[in-house]
Amino acid sequence: MKRFKFIFSVLLVSIILVACGSSTDEEGSANENSNLDSTEQKEESNTVNIEKTELNMALSVDPDGLDPHRTTAASTFQITSNIFDTLVTVTPDGEIDKDLAESWAISDDGLTITFELREGVVFHNGREMTADDVKYSFERLKDEESPRSGDYANIAEINVIDHKTIEFVTDSLNVELLSNFAYPWAAIVPEEAAEDLRNHPIGTGPFKFEEWVPQQQLVLTKHTEHYDPASLETVNFKMMPDVTSQVSALQAGELDIIAVNGDLVGQFEGNPDYTILENRSNSIQLMAINTEHEALADQRVRQAINLAVDKQALIDTVWWGYGEEIGSHYPTMLKEYIDTNSVLSYNTDQAKALLEEAGYRDGLELDMYLPASYPAYVDAGQIIANELDAIGIKVNIEIVEWATWLSDVYTDRQYDLTVVGHTGRLDPYDLLARYHSENGENYFNYSNQRVDEILTLVQEEQDDAKRLDLYQELQKILAEDVPALYIQSPITLTVTASDVAGYTSYPIDIYQMKDVYFTNP
Amino acid sequence: MLSFIIKRLISGLTVLFFISIITFFVLRWMPGDPATLSLGTEGTPEKIAELQEVMGLNLPWYQQYYHWIQDLFSGDWGSSYVFGEDVMTLIIQRLPVTLLLAAVSMVIVIPFAFIIGIMSALFKERWVDYIARSLMQLGDAVPQFWLALIFLVFFASKLGWFPVAGYVGFDDGILASIHSVLLPAIVLAIGQVGPLIRIIRSSMLSSLEQDYMLMTQVNGLPKTLAIVKYALRGASIAPLTIIGMQLANMLAGAILVENIFALPGIGRLLLMTVEQRDLILLQGMVIFVTSAVVLVNILTDICYRLANPMIRFGGNHE
Repeated sequence: MKRFKFIFSVLLVSIILVACGSSTDEEGSANENSNLDSTEQKEESNTVNIEKTELNMALSVDPDGLDPHRTTAASTFQITSNIFDTLVTVTPDGEIDKDLAESWAISDDGLTITFELREGVVFHNGREMTADDVKYSFERLKDEESPRSGDYANIAEINVIDHKTIEFVTDSLNVELLSNFAYPWAAIVPEEAAEDLRNHPIGTGPFKFEEWVPQQQLVLTKHTEHYDPASLETVNFKMMPDVTSQVSALQAGELDIIAVNGDLVGQFEGNPDYTILENRSNSIQLMAINTEHEALADQRVRQAINLAVDKQALIDTVWWGYGEEIGSHYPTMLKEYIDTNSVLSYNTDQAKALLEEAGYRDGLELDMYLPASYPAYVDAGQIIANELDAIGIKVNIEIVEWATWLSDVYTDRQYDLTVVGHTGRLDPYDLLARYHSENGENYFNYSNQRVDEILTLVQEEQDDAKRLDLYQELQKILAEDVPALYIQSPITLTVTASDVAGYTSYPIDIYQMKDVYFTNP
Repeated sequence: MLSFIIKRLISGLTVLFFISIITFFVLRWMPGDPATLSLGTEGTPEKIAELQEVMGLNLPWYQQYYHWIQDLFSGDWGSSYVFGEDVMTLIIQRLPVTLLLAAVSMVIVIPFAFIIGIMSALFKERWVDYIARSLMQLGDAVPQFWLALIFLVFFASKLGWFPVAGYVGFDDGILASIHSVLLPAIVLAIGQVGPLIRIIRSSMLSSLEQDYMLMTQVNGLPKTLAIVKYALRGASIAPLTIIGMQLANMLAGAILVENIFALPGIGRLLLMTVEQRDLILLQGMVIFVTSAVVLVNILTDICYRLANPMIRFGGNHE
């Protein structure tokens, strides 16, 4: 009933929004700017507007503090990536590029990596950044209060060679070691400010922290001494939990950038006052299957579930078509991706036959848990349940709060089916490690000998081509073995006022405001 | 008198003590804890246990409770897990927003409800009454979240009469501040006005039927004077009680409008604390709000007693 009310209200509101919308639809040429071929966003001959240097962007939630070493929340890194720098960074295409490190060298055995630091980098408090700060930062990232400590446990020694040279020695070979230095949580922080980074972050990044009034706004100002200074003087992140308010505020000129879902993007299409940015994202959405359940332990039952769901229809209905169908646990934007959609494509007759073969002729009853804070997952779950009903699987849906989902479903693994999303990483190993039978994040309870083997092999394999083969083999196994029903790799939608330029999306979840500017009218 | 005040204070503290225990346990019985939430889908049982230790969540419940109460008495309300900010600072930051919202809303509701209520009582079963009652039904029936969105899209975005979102502090002038909460206050007011009109109308009707109204006619008092001076006075008591109760209702309404209009008030903070299991902040807010209610009750009792010695509380042994 609640859901019905919600859909009804969304419908009503959208009708009204359409009715109120401006009548410029006919004249405007579609101003869509698609980044789907990972081509760089076109920087037209528009000149930088030097008068307008204050940008307003909406955020749905506050960050989980601003200390990059003490959280795993994307909402924090989206902001802190502007305040802090990392040794290396990642380009929109997923290549590793220099940031605070000017150059680096990896020893022949692959165990030691040495960075040469950039000269003349200063923290927002005016002190120069040196190799000691880098050492301190990684020690802080490794200590027990850090939720990421496990990811950096491999680093055995950090040696300061001189004030601009630093060396990291690792215990065992990690071929994707460099990407560990590019994540926004590998931020370089000054020791003297470490106590209060959560509320008063000080870094070397292109923007200085100015003010954070929780649930109201967070203000950043330009750090003029940055090696690659920003165009904007001020960035205001406005906390607005309601999407309709965000859309209204953009239309009223109170905001310059908002993130939207497929349902709300329609009203901006063809309107020359706005630019719509479509970006592939480094994330996937899936329906996890608890492979320890008696029936679900049978591969045929899992395959039947996969065959019974029309994924494209699901994407069209729930995400308004903004998503790319996937057959395995891999985002389409990453270079190791292979198309596994044809391994099990929609076929209800085959699904029924498999289910019968597995001995579930008279049907089967399963419990599905859906996280209430993610309406899209709830919608998707309900549609999937409906489709499973058609092949004789009765699904009991329970909608739970996010906190409950995390503790009961994710941590305690008390579920049969659940719909959720996973954000990607730069290193394919980090992305796929949860399928190892011994992994703590393997909430599928999935166990496959070959998968375990591959996950061990890839860590040692230094040959890029061979490693690629292993990762692609793994994707194929998952597609066939179905520890989860892989739904889609979502396309994110951002709407900006038409005079905003330089806003790009990255394969890690950050908002890079440094390159953003306003164009002259 | 002094012993009365002491007695009231002791009973107030007892109430607070039980509230604090109930809050504490209910919150810890809820599935999900701040450590799990903070780690999200990156969490493993080991990492969660580590973080729980850092947050002090691994201690036995009585120790956690004891630490919390001990700190509370020494004036340290603790700090929010999510914002890292002092609980008291956050509450004080938020309170003016919600109070202003409720106040502006009340300023709209009260005159409007009295005028409509009295009119419809005076013109009972005539067209004024029918229109008033239809409007009342409409106000009750329209869901507030829907109304809030419609108002936002139309008055703020389309017409630009109000800011779409955000709160302007008192520093920028009281008028600007009121302007920034006016639209949400109107939405809140529409949800509150129906019941009040109904009460005013019915108490006005019963007041008009009293014998003393006949008396005013007999004495030849002008009708308007009779209504204002006698009928209205008699009809005001019930609505005033309702207004007090509606103030409490407004906090519930505030959660909704504060979210839609992105106002940084108590309601929005409360919603976040529950969703994010920001236990320390949530406990602090519950204690703060209940203390305020208990304190106001004690003061009211004292005032009553001072004003009217006829009222004896808790027996006659004094």
